[in-house]
Amino acid sequence: MVNVDKLKEIARETISRDDVKYLIGWRQGTYGFRAAPYFMSTPEEAEELIFSPLCTNNLATYLTLAEKLPVPRGQEPDSRKVALLVKGCDSRAVVQQLVEQGISRERVLVIGCPCRGVIDQKKVEAKFPDVREAVSAVWDGDTVVFNLPGGSVAVPRQEVLAGKCLTCRYPNPVIADVTVWEEVAVWGSDDYVDVRELEAGSPQQRWGFWEEKFASCMRCYSCRNVCPMCYCEDCVLDRLNPQWIMRSVNTAENTAFHLARAFHLAGRCIECGECERVCPVDIPLMKLNRKLTKEVRDKYAYEPGVDPEAKPLQASYRPDDKEDFIL
Amino acid sequence: MNNKPKIGVYVCHCGVNIARTVDVEAVREFASRLPNVKVVRNYAYMCSDPGQLLIRDDVEKEGLNRIVVASCSPRMHENTFRKTLAAAGLNPYYLEMANIREQCSWVHEDREEATAKAKKLVYAAVAKARLLEPLYEKEVEVEPASLVIGGGIAGIQAALDIANAGFKVYLVEKTPSVGGRMSQLDKTFPTLDCSACILTPKMVDVANHPNIELLAYSQVEDISGYVGNFDVKVRKKARYVDVDKCTGCGICAEECRLKGRIPSEFDMGMGKRSAIYLPFPQAVPAKYTIDPERCLYLTRGKCGKSPKCADACTAGAINFEQQDEIVEFKVGTVIVATGFDTFDPTRKPEYGYADYDNVLTGLELERLVSASGPTGGNIVLGEGENAFVPKDIAFIKCVGSRDKSVGNEYCSRVCCMYTAKLAHLVEEKIPGANVRIYYMDVRAFGKGFEEFYDRVRREGIRYIRGNPSEIFKRGDKLVIKVEDTLAATPLEDEVDMVVLAVGLEPRKDAREIIDILRLSQSADRFYLEAHPKLAPVDTATDGVFLAGCAQGPKDIPDTVAQAKGAASSALVLLSSGKVKIQAQISFINENTCRGCGYCVEICPYGAIELVTISRMGNPVQVGRVNEALCKGCGACAAACFSGSAQQKSFMDRQILPQIAVLGVMR
Repeated sequence: MVNVDKLKEIARETISRDDVKYLIGWRQGTYGFRAAPYFMSTPEEAEELIFSPLCTNNLATYLTLAEKLPVPRGQEPDSRKVALLVKGCDSRAVVQQLVEQGISRERVLVIGCPCRGVIDQKKVEAKFPDVREAVSAVWDGDTVVFNLPGGSVAVPRQEVLAGKCLTCRYPNPVIADVTVWEEVAVWGSDDYVDVRELEAGSPQQRWGFWEEKFASCMRCYSCRNVCPMCYCEDCVLDRLNPQWIMRSVNTAENTAFHLARAFHLAGRCIECGECERVCPVDIPLMKLNRKLTKEVRDKYAYEPGVDPEAKPLQASYRPDDKEDFIL
Repeated sequence: MNNKPKIGVYVCHCGVNIARTVDVEAVREFASRLPNVKVVRNYAYMCSDPGQLLIRDDVEKEGLNRIVVASCSPRMHENTFRKTLAAAGLNPYYLEMANIREQCSWVHEDREEATAKAKKLVYAAVAKARLLEPLYEKEVEVEPASLVIGGGIAGIQAALDIANAGFKVYLVEKTPSVGGRMSQLDKTFPTLDCSACILTPKMVDVANHPNIELLAYSQVEDISGYVGNFDVKVRKKARYVDVDKCTGCGICAEECRLKGRIPSEFDMGMGKRSAIYLPFPQAVPAKYTIDPERCLYLTRGKCGKSPKCADACTAGAINFEQQDEIVEFKVGTVIVATGFDTFDPTRKPEYGYADYDNVLTGLELERLVSASGPTGGNIVLGEGENAFVPKDIAFIKCVGSRDKSVGNEYCSRVCCMYTAKLAHLVEEKIPGANVRIYYMDVRAFGKGFEEFYDRVRREGIRYIRGNPSEIFKRGDKLVIKVEDTLAATPLEDEVDMVVLAVGLEPRKDAREIIDILRLSQSADRFYLEAHPKLAPVDTATDGVFLAGCAQGPKDIPDTVAQAKGAASSALVLLSSGKVKIQAQISFINENTCRGCGYCVEICPYGAIELVTISRMGNPVQVGRVNEALCKGCGACAAACFSGSAQQKSFMDRQILPQIAVLGVMR
């Protein structure tokens, strides 16, 4: 079972090590049902660590997002490890980053937190509107208990968990140097029902669906910035020469942006759902990502972010690879 | 130098090939209004001398610095016009071609629409031409040595030619002796000269040539590097016999406890050998080899009180402690002459090869008629008391060739003639033999073939057109069920012996070389040449050439011709000592590369590696292109997420404007 005291203890031990630079975890947010990413570098700071249904952020993003500051002449670059708390889904991002050599194994210390599913802010806020105070939450059997100002309320998990958690097949980290508590039983299975529903529509219906969604995009690039798999030094979509995508916000350019983003994630998306979570205009980006994930699974029997020894999909070739999609 | 683009556009009529479908004058007029275009001309044949002269004159008089030729595919004439530019004093890579033949006039009928498309293609080419950058070809030194893989007649011939030209040759043969398939043959068609008599002197030459290092019983483990500079690793398998001491006397084989108990590969399993053996009497090198899978001492650690071969060897050549040895060397060129396998007739179960002893393959009969074969050249079936000389003999052609049901659509090219040859030899050796040949077609296409086919028929050998459906046993006889399709008569033909004219197939271990050299296969699974007509001995990898049946079924004259071709292609590189490498290659922007290594995995030429560089003091991994290895295929550029890998002359910023003017963008 989740044991936050044990987590704190491990965090204190870890951060006391000479070869660890800092530890990335979660702490209670300042308002509502939120947890915030927490960067700690002293043992004392461990007191604030939490692990609860609020810990939605995929912290693996910060492994590649960390800025590499210029190293002054005569100094050695800091080669200490970064310690990282991961849920099952987050751990797949770490694996995929290893597969793509985005990070190196010896520079990261993975602390695995088997997880029972995190909340969907929107579902919870709909149930408990206008809560300004910081609210903590815990798992309790098949419920999530919210410690609201007026007293604790237990809500069935089914009603508040994020969509990705309801079908989760990887609640336990697939890679970890240490696992804080025992693994949990897998409850989910995934038949890509959401994708199948969309596929059932006519091309016109599907285009109509996406046209409406993409039209509302304001190109804040949050989806790209939060994605643990988007970490090029210099994104092609930002470039002016050549300019693949115009900066003007209109349906055509927005569509080009989203399609390019989705295709860059084909065979790489580990379905943490962060892009969809942070979208301010509720574009169902996971439907798009999962469509490609399903294609990749069906055509190449490939699942990203599971095996650190695997080759990246786009960089592997078998003579019997399907090519029936080539016109 | 003022490098403001001044573009000349040249629209080719290609006789009527283009002009019939495309209004070349309208294209010329259209192009004259495009930005930066100074000169536009159309001409009947741009590739002709006067056509090229137009370009040279205009460069001189009008100061053109970019040239667009609207004509055929760049595969056809890009090189021609690059030379024109060079002769005019321009960098040859200031050329852009618009393909208005293969991609326009040849595939369209409507003149108006074809003209409109030609205009667009020219517009796109002009848009890109403005952004072209000069490129420079580099030269690398060529290591004056060659590797020949395979010691059959193809490899032997290629090795001898290169060695005779004065260059070092490493000839690697997998089995203990050179000679290959040809050494197993008795006579060769259509002249009926003795195979061994013409081959053996060449085998001896190979062994004695001062420029040839023969690595028999060896296998190529790894080849890295690029044209002119291949690093080769060869595994010399342990023979357990010290070749410097072995005199080839053969006493060891006489003494071996397993003498006469192991099927001889050379005799297609019909003869028997010892565990220590010489594959055949004329083997080169004439050194004995211990079969590590059969030898009692090597498999069980014990051979009586002591190994009899070691006791018998007066030279003390037996050495059970011998280990495989890795030999490394550098070569400039590689010739792949790995040969073929014969079709396994058990894949055609209706012919009963697995069931009946009297159903043979052509190569097995070849060993039977050979004087050096297991029966001393007598065609005798069965053993001991049951031995008999077959009288009624049938050949079945196209077994495993021209047969989609076994996945071989191709003709094996030698079976028609070797069948005729074997039929002739059978007639000669068995007086009064009754020989018939069941065939689909007779393909007697080579020099002297048709004459030989005529001769064989005159000798009384019957050709019956029909593809047998089944072979079964009735009493002592084999019955062939077949329809004579010329007479439209179903037959049941009772015979003593059936010979299956099995076809040629790619070697079962063909993949090993593919993995080592990154070769391609054609649809028939043989190694793919660079161009079926104009580069039949080249491969997609520079400096690697093909010879013999590794590339496709061939008879001996064709094999020797191709081997000589491969040798001379290799010699072009070796004797010039330098080789120009591609200019339109890829490069990686190390400032934006994120080091994911997708390009490394995807590169078919192994031209990219990850290196660690310092980015503001931080070590980061980035991809780096080996310019000598890169062939400019652009796969890395397509795979790169960040657009850091780019191909010169096909950079994103050169291609996007080209697409843009086609109306797709903006």
